[in-house]
Amino acid sequence: MTGAELVVKLLTEHGVHSVFGYPGGAIMPIYDALYQSPVKHYLCRHEQGGGFSAIGYARASGQTGVCLATSGPGATNLITALADALLDSVPVVAITGQVSQAVAGTDAFQEVDVLGLSLTCTKHSFYVRAVADLADTLREAFALAQSGRPGPVLVDIPKDVQLAQVDYQPLHLTAASAAPELSHFAEQIASARTLLQQAAKPMAYIGGGVHMADALPELNAFLTATGMPSVTTLKAMGSVEKTNPLYLGMLGMHGTQAANIAVQQTDLLVCLGARFDDRVTGNLKKFAPEAKVIHIDIDPAEINKLRFADVAMLGDLKALLPAMTAAGNYADWQTHCATLKAQHGWRYDHPGERIYAPLLLKQLSERMPDNSVVSCDVGQHQMWVAQHMRFNSPRNHLSSGGLGTMGFGLPAAIGAKISRPQDTSVLVTGDGSFMMNVQELATIKRFRLPVKIVVIDNQRLGMVKQWQQLFFAGRYSETDLSDNPDFVSLAAAFAIPGHSISHKDEVESALDAMFSWPGPYLLHVRIDETDNVWPLVPPGAANHDMMTDLPQWEE
Amino acid sequence: MSHPHTLSTQHTLTIQTRHEAVAVERLLQVTRYRGFTLAGLELKPLADVSGLLITLSVVSDKPISLLVNQLNKLYDVLNLELHQAEAGALRA
Repeated sequence: MTGAELVVKLLTEHGVHSVFGYPGGAIMPIYDALYQSPVKHYLCRHEQGGGFSAIGYARASGQTGVCLATSGPGATNLITALADALLDSVPVVAITGQVSQAVAGTDAFQEVDVLGLSLTCTKHSFYVRAVADLADTLREAFALAQSGRPGPVLVDIPKDVQLAQVDYQPLHLTAASAAPELSHFAEQIASARTLLQQAAKPMAYIGGGVHMADALPELNAFLTATGMPSVTTLKAMGSVEKTNPLYLGMLGMHGTQAANIAVQQTDLLVCLGARFDDRVTGNLKKFAPEAKVIHIDIDPAEINKLRFADVAMLGDLKALLPAMTAAGNYADWQTHCATLKAQHGWRYDHPGERIYAPLLLKQLSERMPDNSVVSCDVGQHQMWVAQHMRFNSPRNHLSSGGLGTMGFGLPAAIGAKISRPQDTSVLVTGDGSFMMNVQELATIKRFRLPVKIVVIDNQRLGMVKQWQQLFFAGRYSETDLSDNPDFVSLAAAFAIPGHSISHKDEVESALDAMFSWPGPYLLHVRIDETDNVWPLVPPGAANHDMMTDLPQWEE
Repeated sequence: MSHPHTLSTQHTLTIQTRHEAVAVERLLQVTRYRGFTLAGLELKPLADVSGLLITLSVVSDKPISLLVNQLNKLYDVLNLELHQAEAGALRA
């Protein structure tokens, strides 16, 4: 077989049924091999859309996402998606065609140094020089993408390698390397248990690493057994069972007041699969200032990177959480946290007839089918989704956390729908973000994907405008989007029906109409441009110095 | 404008990598991105030409563990040894 046919063979070997991409000259042999193959290729309308669809596929399913692109501009268009996958630790394998080695390094047509470009935005990248190395390289790429802290791996394959003849050798399975025995952590586990027993005000700070370690049952058992209150990062929303009364919500810049106040007061922060990101900590020197820290992660580079850990463990949360469970006496602290949660709950009695986005999203959350996957973009709507929607799994909330990439949502929702066809895929996007990969409506049309699209439109680049209002003296530089297209007409051009609403009393019937429609649907929601996201921790401030606007936290 | 004098330390690392030019690129990219200043670089093939032996000297006021942990994550790095630091040797 050819190298190109071997690529497809190896995809099937790894259980890959769906790939996303866009063809071009240097990857034509692989596309020829895909033709009538068992691997389903989803043609996106931009390589970035293909990359984000692969991410959505991976995040919604827990499987590795695969995307394809040709050399030169095809590969450069993948870069943002790879960076997004790296920052959010998403297992993705990107396969790029490259010019033949006979002309490599000559500035040939559509030649760019993809390996060089990939250095900063992948976990690792390979350039395949010989077809004899192709199978081992692709197998290594899949193993690397999934192992340890997951991430994107790129394999750049010159056209001559794709065309060369090679024999397929089946994979000989070798025993997986065993995880370190718990006894390896005996000293740290004992120290952690001592800290838990000594603490009066412990707090679990939960990141995306927990669900990626498949440790949600162990997490919830740990929280129940210890009685420890908890907060989550953006990426970990949905990790804590909805019935847990001591879950305080998301912490950080737009976190809940209860979460931020309690974290600032804790005397023991138990950091599980999280990385003290600046959007979480605010002013790092003032973050949880009285707390000792237990930090468990799979990535050694995260330990002591930003915050010293009194006890650190590099290992599998699934095994470590049960081992370190130790009950303490936290009754007063539990009461305090419950009081904070009650005092600082959201209020939705917004005056007037116009649509209030937080209320809309609460209604959406309550009316969408169970186990819906909600993808969102980046900006104000993203934070409102995190604040006002509830999820029963982190796989049901796809949000570009680390890179914060506008344009993520629509292709991610496509990938989510393809990975979980039995579940409803909902996109919540803003008018700015939606336009960044709007060409992917053509992908929805082509494959008749019933993605439900909610465009929250304030005719502004809302989050930037909010910061201009607060921190740049109201100088609204380039954030006016009042010349947006008619989104319902735009959807209609892709054979997607839609409806536009602007009053509160239209919301429930509009949501029902969207969910009852059997195919894709776009609901355009006009909101007021003066609505902002609260609370907000200003840059440089400690997390307890939150700015608030609406009197929603006052009795 | 006066610049504050920050006590910096020079560290030397001996690193064995796969025999790929890109391995050197990765080392330098991580060194730069993580905020360490290059103070010296020597490299030669291992005796069996299976990889490169690289001596990397860096200066920073940051803990060297921040760089070592990141370099150790690189797929191309097969072995890394940190040698005794020359504490306070340089002032940035």
